[in-house]
Amino acid sequence: MTAHRSIPGGSGGVGLRPPHFAEIAATRPKLGFLEVHAENYMAETVALDRLLELRRDYEVSLHGVALSLGSAEQLDRSHLGRFKTLIGRVEPVLVSEHLAWSAIGGAYLNDLLPFPYTEESLGLFCRHVEEAQEALGRRLLIENPSSYLRYHHSSMPEAEFLTEVARRTGCGILCDVNNIYVSARNFGFDPIAYLDALPIRVIGEIHLAGHHAAEDVDILIDDHGSRVAKPVWDLHAAALRRFGPVPTLIEWDTNLPALEILLDEARHAQELADVHRYVDTA
Amino acid sequence: MRKSSPMSTDMSTLLELQMQLRRAVLGGDAAAIVAAIHGDGLDPAARVGIYRNHAFATLGASLQGTFPVICRLVEKRFFAYVAHEYLREHPPHSRCLVEYGADFANFLADFEPSKALPYLADVARFEWALNIAASMRDTAPLPPRALAEVPANEAAYVAFRLQPSLSYLTSPWPIDAIWQANQENEVSPVDLASGGARLEIRRADDGVAWRRLDAASFAFRTALADGLVLAAAMAGATLQDPAFDVTAAVQHLFAEELVVAFCLSSERLI
Repeated sequence: MTAHRSIPGGSGGVGLRPPHFAEIAATRPKLGFLEVHAENYMAETVALDRLLELRRDYEVSLHGVALSLGSAEQLDRSHLGRFKTLIGRVEPVLVSEHLAWSAIGGAYLNDLLPFPYTEESLGLFCRHVEEAQEALGRRLLIENPSSYLRYHHSSMPEAEFLTEVARRTGCGILCDVNNIYVSARNFGFDPIAYLDALPIRVIGEIHLAGHHAAEDVDILIDDHGSRVAKPVWDLHAAALRRFGPVPTLIEWDTNLPALEILLDEARHAQELADVHRYVDTA
Repeated sequence: MRKSSPMSTDMSTLLELQMQLRRAVLGGDAAAIVAAIHGDGLDPAARVGIYRNHAFATLGASLQGTFPVICRLVEKRFFAYVAHEYLREHPPHSRCLVEYGADFANFLADFEPSKALPYLADVARFEWALNIAASMRDTAPLPPRALAEVPANEAAYVAFRLQPSLSYLTSPWPIDAIWQANQENEVSPVDLASGGARLEIRRADDGVAWRRLDAASFAFRTALADGLVLAAAMAGATLQDPAFDVTAAVQHLFAEELVVAFCLSSERLI
């Protein structure tokens, strides 16, 4: 694994989306880091040029959404190769992926789909994480997904599964606090107990985002389309108490707001982290 | 009979489960996957429906973003239907969504319900080319003097590599005029009988540009874009216009900064 830089703990970052490129380039707002979906920059595009330009002034985190580490098939080596090339060009401060699958039988479904948490799927997922870390030459952070269904033959809770993945593979964990909140509401578990089940030292990043209530069923949908909800900020405070200040990202993908709103959310995350840093050291 | 190991049995179960969820997410039969999941106080089918809705909403939005004029020409509800059918039959292979939709035009060409609009597939090809031009970065062009090192008797066997943002398209319909008319709020009528177009589409400055080419230039540049050697491209152009001036045509290519590399073809086949 390559030695690399780090982001100051608790630094607020934002998801970088094309409509905000020009404004960020012109105003250079103070931010801990920028994060992009790796798959959007794997071709020789103008967007890649713009990202590399911003990379001169910002740390960049590459967030993969399509490696499909949970697929029962082999990993897509050509996709891994494109990911590695991108890592070589961007030299990201963090590289992350998901506890999910998204492609099977040659079809990419553009979603983070759940799989049953069993001893067998644990072995498979760990092999895939190890293979990806080896191929990419980087330690991965694995993110907990938001979930809307559970399988009959799942035999262990998600937090336990994720903890075991980190223990066996040496990967870190990207703790998505909004996803924990959404899944906890959808399945009726205690989100604080989920946080308490995660190991402290391996949390490398926190994600925060908005969600909404589905119209026709009693389900929360993680849509990255609004400000972070109050109960998610509260849960984030609990995460900071447990994990200490961790680089925290505001994700916003649908109904993209003015950059100022995104920066305001990132500032709020930073302030919360500062409060906890003060409390920790007092 | 050999017994399969517990691992392979479980892996095949997981594979089966994922194929079942794939089928349901792509709008197919959901009974098998529904039987494998908890209701948790809801109809399990509604839970599967959340994933199906997400796939169709996001992939449909991706298609709509790439083909806005098609969406306008057929109206939103019909577009949603076309996109739905396309997604079911042609889910993305690439995990980079910028590459999704390359064969959408071919799908439209064979799509029975839209055959009343015979130009639709060609407008989609035009939008795909605009999309490529808008997203692909240009490569540093070769200066005209680059060809000076080629011996005169070898010049006929030069093959060029052109800018990656370039596309060449021909259609019996005025697809550029149709596209242009649909950029306005009020669409002015386009005379479909006004004839077809031979188009060159490329990245230019910070946007895209296209123009109509005459038959000979179109034949020449298309052949070069396909990797044919200069002599073959010239032969094709001369068929269209016996007075075709190949020296001037090559100079224009360089002046327009379209050439990024060249090689001497080893095969020397015309």
